[in-house]
Amino acid sequence: MTEKMPVNFTVNGDKEEREAVVGQTLLKFIRDELHLTGAKEGCEIGECGACIVLLDGKPVNSCLILAVELDGKDLVTIEGLSKNGELDRVQKAFIKHAAFQCGYCTPGMILSARALLERKPNPTDEDINQALSGNLCRCGAYQEIREAIKASSEK
Amino acid sequence: MLSYDYIKCADLNLAFQELEEGEQVYPLAGGTDLIVGMRGGKFAAKTLIDIKDVPELNVLKEDDQGITIGAAITLNEVTGFTPVRENVPILAEGCHSVGSYSIRNRATIAGNICNASPAADTAAPLYALDAVINIAGSGGNRSIPIKEFFIGPGKTALNKGELVQSVLIRKPYPKGKGIYLKASRTGSVDLATVGVAVQRWGDQVKIAIGAVAATPVRAFSVEKAVNEAGEKRWADAARLVHEDISPITDLRGSREYRYHMVEVLVRRGLEQTMGV
Repeated sequence: MTEKMPVNFTVNGDKEEREAVVGQTLLKFIRDELHLTGAKEGCEIGECGACIVLLDGKPVNSCLILAVELDGKDLVTIEGLSKNGELDRVQKAFIKHAAFQCGYCTPGMILSARALLERKPNPTDEDINQALSGNLCRCGAYQEIREAIKASSEK
Repeated sequence: MLSYDYIKCADLNLAFQELEEGEQVYPLAGGTDLIVGMRGGKFAAKTLIDIKDVPELNVLKEDDQGITIGAAITLNEVTGFTPVRENVPILAEGCHSVGSYSIRNRATIAGNICNASPAADTAAPLYALDAVINIAGSGGNRSIPIKEFFIGPGKTALNKGELVQSVLIRKPYPKGKGIYLKASRTGSVDLATVGVAVQRWGDQVKIAIGAVAATPVRAFSVEKAVNEAGEKRWADAARLVHEDISPITDLRGSREYRYHMVEVLVRRGLEQTMGV
């Protein structure tokens, strides 16, 4: 059995050359090897969205992807959104609108929202509902999350 | 952590060879069913062949034949493909009903049918469109209608050494509206309790239903009443669907509830496609 394979990729703008264990999920790799703990383990079956990261700009469930599939890809995690110590506008809006309580779903929520705003700079409520359909918030902050995304979409 | 081999494959012939010669070899595209199934013990994979970069499987095109959707094309790509939206929006609806946005960035239409869940959201629309499944293998290529592809829960017509190369929606496209109606426990991220596809073809209709038998099924009794006997009372026509289905009770709904919901959704589907 192949145990480890080389993976070359970009994470939050930086090029990395690593080895990944075959069978390890991308989520575990991000948390345990890259030590980026923003992405969270929730359901591990692709239903909750706590593990969402951007792969080549698209939100994906990192619990359902293998670390070895990262080879040649561009990865963005929640840690990669702030620039020079300044939070991204979606992050700022989440704080301003108190769009969380426990915060466990927040990295996934913000990354899904960020990708939506790239596709649709001025999303409707329905666009937001659809784009975040795979992000569950057990605290029930959905109303505030929608408000934060709408606020950060205003140019 | 599970232990298995991973082979990144860019050559279709290499994939055939691995599938033919290896034991418990699974093609990996989106992985959204496969990884969950492996973790849960449903699939005992010894080798995964990553087929996402195989050029032949990345085809998404419209030509004289119709619309060809390669096995590596994601559901979001299908939903966003203009020829699909314009000519067979029922398929876009079915694809859009699977999982969530982030799941659909990985999941594929080929994976959805190869997983062969009777509740597969893309299946009922594909049945109502008479889609063709293009199968490729070391022994050559063959094409079969979707209704011959599903054999039973988790079982397909694929032989060892074969994989789905693409799904073909043939021309001529249906003239008239098509709609996919899904009953599920939550608005997203759930399988269909029942899924009903109703596609108008001129003055005729084709109806397919998921999650009510061992495979998706066509509602031939209803179709016969509408297409041949000229039944216009949609409620009466919809009642005949009971003859076409044999649902079971599971965590998503009882057998009785499924009988009831299918009848309701078939009636609504007829109203919305064939006129009130």
